[in-house]
This record gives sequence, structure tokens and C-alpha cells, in this order.
Amino acid sequence: MAFILSNINKKFGDLYVLKDLSMSLEEHQLICILGPSGCGKTTLLNIISGVFPADQGEIAGFEGKTISYLFQETRLLCWKTVQENIDFVLKDRLSKSQRTEIIARYVDMVGLRDFKNYYPDQLSGGMKQRVAIARAFAYPADILLMDEPFKGLDLQLKTALMQAFISLWLMDKRSAFFVTHDIDEALLLGEKIYVLTERPGAVKGIISNDVPHQERNLQNENIRQVEQEIYQLLTDSGRE
Amino acid sequence: MQNSTTKNRLFTLASILALLLVWKLLAVFWNQELIMPSPEITLAKLWMVINDTNFWPSVGATLGRGLIGFLISCAAGLVLGFCAGFSAPIYWLLQPWVTVIRTTPVMSVVILAIIWFQSDVVPIFVTFLMIFPIIYGNVVAGIKNVDQQLLEMAHMYRVKIRRIIFELYIPSILPYLLAGASNAMGITWKVIIAAEILSQPFFAIGTNLMIAKIDLETAQVFAWTVVTIIISFIFEYLLNTLENKFRTWG
Repeated sequence: MAFILSNINKKFGDLYVLKDLSMSLEEHQLICILGPSGCGKTTLLNIISGVFPADQGEIAGFEGKTISYLFQETRLLCWKTVQENIDFVLKDRLSKSQRTEIIARYVDMVGLRDFKNYYPDQLSGGMKQRVAIARAFAYPADILLMDEPFKGLDLQLKTALMQAFISLWLMDKRSAFFVTHDIDEALLLGEKIYVLTERPGAVKGIISNDVPHQERNLQNENIRQVEQEIYQLLTDSGRE
Repeated sequence: MQNSTTKNRLFTLASILALLLVWKLLAVFWNQELIMPSPEITLAKLWMVINDTNFWPSVGATLGRGLIGFLISCAAGLVLGFCAGFSAPIYWLLQPWVTVIRTTPVMSVVILAIIWFQSDVVPIFVTFLMIFPIIYGNVVAGIKNVDQQLLEMAHMYRVKIRRIIFELYIPSILPYLLAGASNAMGITWKVIIAAEILSQPFFAIGTNLMIAKIDLETAQVFAWTVVTIIISFIFEYLLNTLENKFRTWG
């Protein structure tokens, strides 16, 4: 069963944000939505998560699915500890014993076992984002929506967090929409990269990236080839 | 840290000593107990006042009235503040009422309350009218300042409304509520005693102050004032401790 968006249109007032946008996602696939700032990426995620509907177009495959989120901000409750923060989103869905087990597992997986009783203010920015990643995976969701979760972080931290994310995702492959404006992030994470145009956002091209995640780095030949394709796509339409 | 705390304490101590010294100098300068009783005469009077059979019932009654007024204000401020924080129509409906209450002079309220109520109830009523707007205002401000991104996160993860209220809204507004409460607590004791002076309940610190004044017992006025300051100080300290405990959340 795949997730399909076809001919999505969205206007805010007179402003066309998304125009005839179509994309599809296989289950357990990680797709990247790459586009410049203001091209409607967040709007697209909001339509997928049902915050507001599209003006026109169809979305299919999302009915009855649960969704979890990774935002640019960590969005942790500062009066709750690491494990309480994760528990906050699980409590309405799982039993106490299930929660304890799941929280322990994901806190471990992001390397924060010794910090599970710490409050967010006692953690570094990177650790907080790890908590947010653990929360997103701990939540029993079919789909993971990520809105530039690595934006504004320094290179070292970004690399470490992306590695933490990838290893978690490889063990627990959620169908994921990953939105970014950063080509490197798209290269390292996406299995399929949707390159969007400037506003109104439409699909400019789809590039698949078959390099296994474990082998990916920016020096890798095949990755560089994918990068070339993306640049080609970006400059091609620039001439139109 | 430890060092600066001790240092600060020394400054506080020096300041208190200076206050006593100025008081003593003024008393010597006037040399009239009726106008400015000295610190030691006041202390002796304080000892007398404390040992009077009337003391604990009066202090107890004033404390009781203050706390009742304060707690009713907190409860009403919290409930109505929540309603107004969530609903713009309720906010605008309540706004004129709160403004009228906030701006009415204390003495007008006291006089009207004396006409309307028993003397025991007057200070509670007056306290309520003075304190409620403060608590209410802080709760509304707290709700309006709840982090929208956290709320969005909670809604997206489909957390139940009841839990969003108790685990997100209440902790978010707690610092505001405590700041309002400690501010209000200080005002409570001033208002309660002003109201007692005019309404004259049988047992009350305010009544004792009034009697001392009529008897021209200035030292006794000072002694009861000291009692009030101590009460105020104790409650301020308690609330500040609470406030500091929760400030780490901010």
C-alpha cells in the first residue's frame, strides 16, 4: 500500500502555494522533498497531516494512519524529563508496561540512557534533538513527517544527528517524508528526492538515490552523481 | 555563590540595623513617645501585646480572613482566567468588570462593604476585589503566552485535551500564577488591615490598631504594625520559595 498525493493545489488568499503537485511514497520508504525556502514544503506536510485540507487534489493511503513528527525546534516540555517527554505522547495510546519498555528502548537507541531523568534545560541542543527523534520513533506511527529537523545546526552536530537518525530508521523503517532545503541532507537521507520549484511549489523532477544508507557520504562517487543530477535539474529549469 | 549569598545577607543585616538606628535617632530627636516611640519601648509594648489574651484570637482572625480572601481570589482568578484565556468573547465580556474592580478606590469598596455586609465579612470581600484582578490578569497572560509550537506538537501527536490542559497549560502558567500570587499576598495584608480598621470586627489586628490609636497608645500602634510586617514577611518568604522552585522550569 502506497501513499499517494495527486494534483494538490493550495492557495492562501491570492497566493498560490502549491500547484498541481503529485508524489507517491512506498511503505517503509524515505522520500526527500527538496525545495527553496517558501516553496510550500511545510504547507505540504500540513496537508498530509490533516492540519488543513488541500483546495484541490486527492490524497490517498493516509486514512487511519498515525503520524509522528520531527520539527526544526525540539518542542520538548521543559517541566518534563526526557522519559516523561516521550511518555507525554504515548500515554493515550499504550499501556504502562508497553510505554516503559518502548521509552527505554528508544532512549537507549539515541544514546541517552544516562540522561533519561534529565530535564531538557540540562541537555545540549543536540541531545534535545535526539530526544525529539526518540519521541518521533517511540510513537506508534505509520508515517514520519520531518520538517527541516537539522536546520540551523552546526555541521558536526548535524552529521552526528543524521547518523543517529539513519541508524534508528534502518532498524525501524517508517514511511517518511523529509522536507529540506539542503542538498547534502537530501543526498544523505532520501531514497527518492522530489525537487520542487519555487512558489508555487510543483514537482520539478524526481531523482532516485539507490545508494545504501550505510555507504552514503558526500565523497561517495554515486552520491556525487546524484548530486550532479540534482544540480542539472536546478540549472536546466533556470534557463526556461 | 555561597560567598555572595553570605555577603548579601550581611548587606540585609546592615540595612536592618541602619533602619533601627534611624528610628532610634528620630525617637531621640522628637523625644515624645506619643509621636515617635523608640524601638525599645515598641519592643516592650510588643511583648505586652503578644501576651495579651486578645493577641492570638486577633492574629488568627486576621490570618483567616486574609487566607480566605486570598484563596477565593485565586480560585476565581484561575477559573475565570482560564475561560477568558481560551475564549475571546469571555475575555471581552469580563474586561469592563475587571477594569471597574481594578480601578475602584479601596476606601470606596470598604465603605460600601460596611454598608452591605457584616463586619467580619467586609475585609474578605475587600481583599477579594483587590486581589482577584491581579490573579486573573496573570492567568490570562500565562495562557496567552503558552508556547504555540508545543501546543501544535501536542495536537499533532493527538494528545487528549484533558492532558494538554493539565500537563501543558497548567505547568506553563504556573510561573505567572505564582508571580501574581506572591504580588497579591503582599497586598492582601495591607488591604485586610485597612478594611478591619474601618469595619471593626470583634477580633482583628485592624481593630486593635484602631483602639491603640484612640487610646493615643502610639507604641502599641507600632507594635501591631510590627506584627503585621512579620506576618507579611513570612508569607512573602513562603511564596518566594515556591516561586523559585518552579522558576527553573522557565
